[in-house]
Amino acid sequence: MKKKTMTVALTVALASAVALTGCGSNNAGSSENAGNTNTGGNAPANSSTNTGGGSAEKVTLKMMHLWPAGSSKQQNMIVNDIINEYQTANPNVTIKQEILENEQYKNKLKVLSASNDLPDIGMTWAAGFLTPYVKGSLFAPLDDVLGDGLKDSFVSGTTEAYAVDGKTYALPLELNITPVYYNKAIFAKYNLEVPQTYADFQKVVDTLQSNGVAPIALGNKDRWTGSLWYMYLADRLGGPETLKNAINRTGSFEDPALVKAAEEAQALVDKNAFNKGFNGLSNDEGKSEFMNGKAAMYLMGTWELPNFTTNETIPQEFRDSVGFFKFPTIEGGKGDIDSWVGGPGVGLFVAENSKVKEEAKKFVKFFVEKWGEQSVTKAGVIPATKVDTSKVDLPQMYIDILNELGKASNITLFADVQMSPAVAQVHLNSIQALFGKQVTPADYAKAHEEALAQEAGK
Amino acid sequence: MDKVMSNKKMIALYVLPALALVLALIYVPIVLTGYYGLMKWDGIGAMEFIGLDNYSRLVQDSAFWQSAYHAFLLAAFSALSLIAYLAIALVLSGEIKGANLLRKIYLIPMLLSSVAIAQLWLKIYHPTNGVINSLLASLGFTGTIEWLADTKIVLLAIFIPIIWQYAGFYILIYYAALKNIPTSLVEAARIDGANPLQIAFRVKIPLILSVTKVTIVLAIVGSLKYFDLIYVMTDGGPNGASEVMASYMYHQAFRSFDFGYGSAIGFFLLLICLVVTWLIRKLTDSEEIQYS
Amino acid sequence: MAQSLAAQRLPAHASHRPIGSRIGMSLLYILLAIIAVIQVFPLIWLLFFSLKDNQEVFNLSPFALPTDPKWENYAKVWTEGNISQYFFNSVWYTVAAVVLTVLLASLVTFALTRMNWKLKKPVLGLFMVGIMIPIHSTLIPLFQMFMKINLTDHPLSIILTYTAFNLPLTIMILLGFYQTLPREVEEAAVMDGCSVNRIFFQIILPMTSSVIATTVIINMIYNWNEFVFVNTFISSDGLKTLTVGIQNFIGQYTTDWGAIGATLMISILPILIVFFILSNRIMEGMTAGSVKG
Repeated sequence: MKKKTMTVALTVALASAVALTGCGSNNAGSSENAGNTNTGGNAPANSSTNTGGGSAEKVTLKMMHLWPAGSSKQQNMIVNDIINEYQTANPNVTIKQEILENEQYKNKLKVLSASNDLPDIGMTWAAGFLTPYVKGSLFAPLDDVLGDGLKDSFVSGTTEAYAVDGKTYALPLELNITPVYYNKAIFAKYNLEVPQTYADFQKVVDTLQSNGVAPIALGNKDRWTGSLWYMYLADRLGGPETLKNAINRTGSFEDPALVKAAEEAQALVDKNAFNKGFNGLSNDEGKSEFMNGKAAMYLMGTWELPNFTTNETIPQEFRDSVGFFKFPTIEGGKGDIDSWVGGPGVGLFVAENSKVKEEAKKFVKFFVEKWGEQSVTKAGVIPATKVDTSKVDLPQMYIDILNELGKASNITLFADVQMSPAVAQVHLNSIQALFGKQVTPADYAKAHEEALAQEAGK
Repeated sequence: MDKVMSNKKMIALYVLPALALVLALIYVPIVLTGYYGLMKWDGIGAMEFIGLDNYSRLVQDSAFWQSAYHAFLLAAFSALSLIAYLAIALVLSGEIKGANLLRKIYLIPMLLSSVAIAQLWLKIYHPTNGVINSLLASLGFTGTIEWLADTKIVLLAIFIPIIWQYAGFYILIYYAALKNIPTSLVEAARIDGANPLQIAFRVKIPLILSVTKVTIVLAIVGSLKYFDLIYVMTDGGPNGASEVMASYMYHQAFRSFDFGYGSAIGFFLLLICLVVTWLIRKLTDSEEIQYS
Repeated sequence: MAQSLAAQRLPAHASHRPIGSRIGMSLLYILLAIIAVIQVFPLIWLLFFSLKDNQEVFNLSPFALPTDPKWENYAKVWTEGNISQYFFNSVWYTVAAVVLTVLLASLVTFALTRMNWKLKKPVLGLFMVGIMIPIHSTLIPLFQMFMKINLTDHPLSIILTYTAFNLPLTIMILLGFYQTLPREVEEAAVMDGCSVNRIFFQIILPMTSSVIATTVIINMIYNWNEFVFVNTFISSDGLKTLTVGIQNFIGQYTTDWGAIGATLMISILPILIVFFILSNRIMEGMTAGSVKG
């Protein structure tokens, strides 16, 4: 009796050990991507239909992106459509997707690069984020892809954000600028006009604040959100070049205009211009103050446009009440009203060490073109390729934004993207400290200057 | 006895599989972390050997020491909170009607993932419509306490959910240990006229001493390398006010692309944990008591 | 010996208490009830959370029920992506890692506390160091290692990692219990000529069933909620676990909180059930276990 129970226990233990290895090898074989309904990998090699030219040799391309079907349904659908279209035209090619959320995506990209195991195609951000990968020879130059006129289809200046030493290493998919959205209903209630100058703007803030309405929605736990405010103040005071030069070391971060901008940012905090507790709130939480009609203004990228136009889950009444204005100019400042903070968001890279680099490049080219045709109409994402507003049917707010984009005098790339990752961390932490009034404007500028100087000295 | 229990083959068979796994999957990374810590490496390009430069930078890095101070504070709070958990476990393991149900209910929060706990506490701490501030407002308190934005209170505010998160874990361990005490010992004490408090202090607690020591080590080491809720709830902010060693390490390695320095922090954290564990064991060293 | 202890067990006698003590007991019950309410709140909150949309998640009080419950959050979670596959993976990774961890840890703890050999202390030390390394330091080295042996994107990479990282903790918890077990039982068994295996599997394991249940619960919760290793080592969607369900609703710029709530709610139910079953096992304590031996 005793013996029996023991054998049973052992058998169970053994069986589970066997099951462990057994199932393991089975599952590895059937690792097919779910979001992607392709059967291309196992499709019969009917290469006669392959009019795309090239070899019929079977190729699998791995692609990593950050548009899960749950939260980014439209983007995800377009990606799948483009992949299916490409696979149909090139039956020898199978494209496997891996989808991760933003933070996890960045972490994984880091682990994969340290192990030299990047996917064939993936997403990157511009400038400071991309440079270490380029310096480490992990991204392939895509200038040959940009030839044949593809470069002309991009809004000028966008591909340059992904260039290092004259070569372009990724092709942008998004282009965003950051207007100040405002709640027309709240403005009407307090007889407020859209401010043209910063003095007007301050009056708007005062009026709202004295009526118990939070003037501006901000979630500064994410820190780049506060950076947008600082960047506009810096631009309007010192002109577009001052901040850029400070970062690229032809100028100094202790420039009077940059210090003054920090003072103005703190002046806004002192006026209670932002919702309460903003330094501990995420962008999502800050945004909800605007979305719920509690705060009157919200400075954010044009990626929010669907929420103010087409997103059915948001009450029509609210969507209709949202307008936008350009960040007002400051009297005596050097910046003009058509200068924007913004720039291209994610772009596609091809791994330098990819075994199927040429195929990957072909697909990237195809992807960028197809994406440009569909992204704004289907997903509300403004692509970095030119959009002909006369040919597409878009909500008025999109048309207005695209027109503004057309006449923009300058677009300053988000500061944390311009800077190298290490300096960007200093910048972001300093922003939080500035808005939290833990540092003086002078110390704020000094922290930047030191970090930038140290980086340049390396 | 000695012969059977000294069988070298059996000992190897019992210990080696686990040891092999731990050596391969924990020690290899530890050694490599130590190695990367000697490098200047962004995690992408080529490595450059810089000797102990990362460590000399670490020693002078006030941001690191601030994060270490926070982690040690958390460790102290966690260790103190063990007293409360032990008390709850003692009550639950006693003759309490419905103890079985209560115990299950008490442990429910421990089933929640950090993601869920973080969301819950973000709602509790929300400056305008959070639970605490709404409650304070209804009591006539007019100011707004910015729990997670005020650098003076953010640390305390973040410790509460962390300690609460682990309540179930420790109550469960204490409870299981208390339930393991043979009833006869407790009965004997009772027959001798001991009251419940005396039974708790003279019989039960001494008998679970070895478990208690383990929980002290776990609570302190666990706090020193704590990461999860801080990462989700404040990300170490505002401006480092709630940064702990593990989050600082993460920020350096994964955000600032300074993997060499991040590895040095990781390795140093390990050394700190080792020293602290050794100290705890020295301080709590005593004869183990067995039931008999 | 242990059997005789169990036999001596006396009936509980709670009847002859003075009045002061009764008032104390009532206060104690009130306190216990308050704590219970606090501890149950998170679950209720999560349920409400999962029935809200983004507007309501941020606008309503956390404990307010939305006027129009968004059950479609559950439908969304259930239909988007591969949830049944994720669920299956979560279950089997968790079960495999838990079984492996608890079995291996029990073997080690038995050898450390019951058997006679010289290297006990250093070996115990080796295991204990395992709880001290921050996981983010291990990601790159582990990934590279798994890559070399072709185990990236393979369930084994997850199961073995979970096992290795939970072994030290599990051993430490077991250790506290093993050290207090009476030696008489196994001494008698050795006298009877039992082998080590028999002593372990038939006497010690059943005696420790309550602490095993404890470690199983702890391991289960850790493995079930883990996502950093899964994200790093696994790239095929078909091998991912329920925790990616959460990621599925985190967008580049916006997050669908209600759907995340629904995913969290769905993923907590299975462990809630297992937990309720297992926690009864702890209740029985050692004496019940030793009788079976």
